[in-house]
Amino acid sequence: MSDPGIPSDGAASADWLDRVLADDARGHAADYLADDGFTARVMQTLPAPVAPPAWRRPALMALWGVAAVGLAVALPGTAVEVARETFRLFAAKPVTLYEIAAVLAIAGLGSWTTAIFAWKRA
Amino acid sequence: MSASPVTDAQLIARCVVGDDRHAFAELVRRHQSAVRACLRKLTTGDAALADDLAQETFVLAWRNLKSFRQDARFSTWLYRIATNCWLMHARKRKEELLGDRDDAIPDDDHDAMSHLTDTAVDHTRASTLRMDLERAMRVLSEPERAAIVQCYHNDLSHEEAAYVLGIPVGTVKTHVLRAKQKLKVAMASWNPEAASGTAEGAA
Repeated sequence: MSDPGIPSDGAASADWLDRVLADDARGHAADYLADDGFTARVMQTLPAPVAPPAWRRPALMALWGVAAVGLAVALPGTAVEVARETFRLFAAKPVTLYEIAAVLAIAGLGSWTTAIFAWKRA
Repeated sequence: MSASPVTDAQLIARCVVGDDRHAFAELVRRHQSAVRACLRKLTTGDAALADDLAQETFVLAWRNLKSFRQDARFSTWLYRIATNCWLMHARKRKEELLGDRDDAIPDDDHDAMSHLTDTAVDHTRASTLRMDLERAMRVLSEPERAAIVQCYHNDLSHEEAAYVLGIPVGTVKTHVLRAKQKLKVAMASWNPEAASGTAEGAA
């Protein structure tokens, strides 16, 4: 036992029982119980994996589509205005090749750092 | 170059994140012997019951793997589930016995005590000792037996045993002390001092 702090009614008289218990534990530790299909039986007993129904994904996509169309119909001017302003914002500012390279380098560095961090944590 | 062995923590992560059943099978393979041996000790040698409880233990472990915080070793966590399974089973059995026949509960304690002195001569000393110890363990109450199994058989510290049994450390120590007192009485024939005393008396 790792924590021999048991109060006893006589250390000497407790010794022989400690020895008996320790010997028995050692004997059991040496007796490795062969698997004999135990793992297979356990794996068969595990609950079946819960798979989402096949219709869930297309249904979700259809719902998002309906929501987007609904929003566009409800606010016809806003959607067009947002698209036009976004295009103007990017078109008005010329982007150099160096800027594109810098953005790509920063994005690459960021994704590699995240990947290494995630790998180390796992 | 030899591949480094996958740790329990890595296998658990695969189970939790990716629902990886192969990883769980590996965990079962690694720990089945220890869990089954622990339950055999708790059930005082009933191998079939121990294996049923071990199976239940691993199914419960799979279901609750997400709640395993890794603040204890995985094996210790498994011992905790196994001990709970055994305690639940023992409680259920006791209730059934009480419901069926109030006056006819087998008195295992006295039965076990009376058999302890009958050492079979055709057995080796080690196996006789093991059998006697198994019988003596029946004398103990369930919490006492659980405490002895965790502290000696599974070689856990009092703190770890307290975690497994879900009781304070002081209570574990009390259970171990009481269990050892009972075992000393039940196993008196194995006490070398008593044996030498008897021999001197006879001479």
